[in-house]
Amino acid sequence: MLLHCSRVDWDEAAIRRWLEPLDGREVDIAEVFGEALSELVLEWNDGVIREVRVRREEGTAARRRAGGVEQLVCVPGCGEASAREAVRALRSEAGGEPLPIRPAGRPEETDAGALFPDADRWTRRLSSLFARHAPKHAFRFRIRQTERRVVADRSRSASSSRRLVSLEGRFTAASRAGDEERPFAFHAPHSESVADELKTELAAAAVPRDRPVPAPAGETDAILAAGSAAVFFHEVLGHPLEADAETSPLQNLPDARVAVPDLEIVDDPRRLDLFGGYENDDEGVAPRAARLVAAGRLGGRITDRAHGAAPGSTGHGRRSGAADAPRPRGANVVVGPGSADADEMLRRLGNGLWIETFDGGSVELASGTFRLRFPRARRVRRGRFADELGGGVLAGEVLPALAGVEPVLGRDARACRSFGWCARSGEVVPVGGSAPDVLLRRLTVRPDP
Amino acid sequence: MNADDLTRALARRAPGQWELYSKVAESRESESTTSLRRAFWRREEGWAARWQESGAPRFAAGTSPPELHRAIEAADAITPAAAPPLEWPAARKAPSPETSGAAVEAPPDLFAELARAVSAASRGEATLLSLTLRRGRAEERIANAAGLELRQELRLFDGIAAAVGRRGAKAREARLAFRWQDGPEVEPLARRLADAATLPLSDRPAPFGSGQWLLDPAVGAALLAAVAPLFLAERPPRWLVRGRFGSPGLAVVDDASRDAPADGEGVPSRRVLLAEDGTLVGCLLDLSAAAACGRRSTGHGVRPSFRVPPRARPRRLFFEAASAVPPSDLLASVSKGLYASALTALARVDVEADRYEIEFTGVSIVAGRAGGPVAGARARGRLSELLRRIRALSSDLQFFPSPYPAGSPTVLVERANFD
Repeated sequence: MLLHCSRVDWDEAAIRRWLEPLDGREVDIAEVFGEALSELVLEWNDGVIREVRVRREEGTAARRRAGGVEQLVCVPGCGEASAREAVRALRSEAGGEPLPIRPAGRPEETDAGALFPDADRWTRRLSSLFARHAPKHAFRFRIRQTERRVVADRSRSASSSRRLVSLEGRFTAASRAGDEERPFAFHAPHSESVADELKTELAAAAVPRDRPVPAPAGETDAILAAGSAAVFFHEVLGHPLEADAETSPLQNLPDARVAVPDLEIVDDPRRLDLFGGYENDDEGVAPRAARLVAAGRLGGRITDRAHGAAPGSTGHGRRSGAADAPRPRGANVVVGPGSADADEMLRRLGNGLWIETFDGGSVELASGTFRLRFPRARRVRRGRFADELGGGVLAGEVLPALAGVEPVLGRDARACRSFGWCARSGEVVPVGGSAPDVLLRRLTVRPDP
Repeated sequence: MNADDLTRALARRAPGQWELYSKVAESRESESTTSLRRAFWRREEGWAARWQESGAPRFAAGTSPPELHRAIEAADAITPAAAPPLEWPAARKAPSPETSGAAVEAPPDLFAELARAVSAASRGEATLLSLTLRRGRAEERIANAAGLELRQELRLFDGIAAAVGRRGAKAREARLAFRWQDGPEVEPLARRLADAATLPLSDRPAPFGSGQWLLDPAVGAALLAAVAPLFLAERPPRWLVRGRFGSPGLAVVDDASRDAPADGEGVPSRRVLLAEDGTLVGCLLDLSAAAACGRRSTGHGVRPSFRVPPRARPRRLFFEAASAVPPSDLLASVSKGLYASALTALARVDVEADRYEIEFTGVSIVAGRAGGPVAGARARGRLSELLRRIRALSSDLQFFPSPYPAGSPTVLVERANFD
């Protein structure tokens, strides 16, 4: 069987032969991973492209894990020669018989096809979109295409490819008391409809609003709207349930009731319409939805092959790049909808905050505390929208925050397009989510300094 | 396709306005926890080109010359707005230093030693969770249209350590990034980790609403790194009246000449005085920023990776004391205040709005003596006031790697508000 890796075909049988001496009864994992990445970045300023950047990267890694020891070798290129070099070095590192050096053959030919055939079309679209909705701006537009291949022990082999589109930066929008600067972020997998979706999101972000007053400090209730609850659950459930989170506050609570029975949350990489989706993970495992909360009870963990134990990996073994080891990482947090409409949610909230976007978040597992930064919010008084509020930080503890989820959920789950990348220990992977409006009680809010 | 082919292609495409960068790096990394040992061996090759065709600046990067060539072709399909031409550094008389080419040794296994040291420093309250150590060597080559052919070797030995402190039902995780110059320094790292993991476990909030504020070198360096945009700004913020940056006697310097002979654009490294006697006197420029303001680069074009074009950034930024005093003298001079031992959240600094907010853990100080631990405190207010209230610096200058190399001794701020 031949595996096509961007410009070079991998001879899977040959790679298995090379891996054979690294495999054995006491070996848990032996694999070769290859990645080809192409990225186009356009830096836009006030309707003009100030900088064009194109990146073309290839890398191959060979990995072996036996007992509590793992070795990983990474080399440039993703052709067969690179795979051979990586396995050769790994066999040498593992103290086994080295793979003989093969004389250098003819250099592998570069695929002559255009890397970004739709770049010109995107440029024209963005130019008219910005002129209409955000003429003064500093935006970074990015198209990233990745192709990944894995050949692993137990006849496992898989491939996946993703094309992702991002636009992020700041723009000047009209507010009722003059111009104001607003942040904007949009991350979506490439599709026929992505340009229209981007247009809708940017137009909505540019709607004139009142000038914000500082967010209040202290305890508050909040509705996380427009899919932003996905970011909250990514931090308070996704990270603590990653199988290598040794200090997680949820570690020893399997099946514990942590929230209202109405709450159903999964991490589902199969949702290819969301930013974090993929067909196969970076260990060649077909993913399945990992149940994080089912009927209010804590579900299982997000696992990779190394942490899968008896049920096996959930297909969440993800690499930031070829040079990094796979780790169990969340992909798309998907929260099941309820039945309430926005008016009912507001009535239930009474007084508090309405938040539609988070532009950063973190969780500290040992203490079980989290923080989510919002660039803007809306105050709600007696079930009605009141002042526009500036940015701040929403903070709390994982278990009390889960217990504070109200048993009323919005009827429509929305994809959270402002949510795009998650960094853990410097390793960044695309993530996404979809959620209905969620009402949370007793969080702490602190305004920006 | 090789380096010569790329050079010729760039010279044809953008006569007089091109640069070709390449890097070959090798690193060995060990990642240890109580249950797992990971060993990484990485060989990286990176190529990057910048050129200005008809004034339009473009950048391409690839992991081999053919891939770079392909990226250049793709970047050429889009035309950005024209930018001022760059003044590329020319060939220098001094030859490039010879590179050693020696293989990179695996980092030592220090997990058990650091675990013991952390446990001892915390009286058993903190446990080492993980230790990642990385040793690496990179050889960079920079060629440009002005005839520069530079080759330089960079070496590093750095890492990240994480520990968890536990007291009763309370737990706290601390994570520290570090860089070692002359070999492992286990004891200071263990003390820092133990403090960061255990001090927040106390129930004690800040006992004073205001007072003197003593910053550990790690906190001082984080503060300096957070205010670094001041040294890059085209226009200083409004609050910086007549360049008045800090208290009299305060100096800020960037000098990376001991790390590398040249920056990522081939401009020689040199000492740049940024603030002197409390007044802003310099700024950090790369080739683009220099071209935009009609000046010369200060040698601060930094490439965090071959994947992105160089940008003006600090390379080795630090507070410099005209008359440094021993840290013990600084401690003795505090009548009532807090010692910030470690940050508990990222420093939040808004240079434009003149605001800062720093959350930290530490100990209280009364009459020059350490009191009890302070689990968490927050200092906030005007950045301009904070900088102007820096009263003294000690002699224990230390460097920290993140987000860029920044150094600070213990810093005494004469007054701050805490909550």
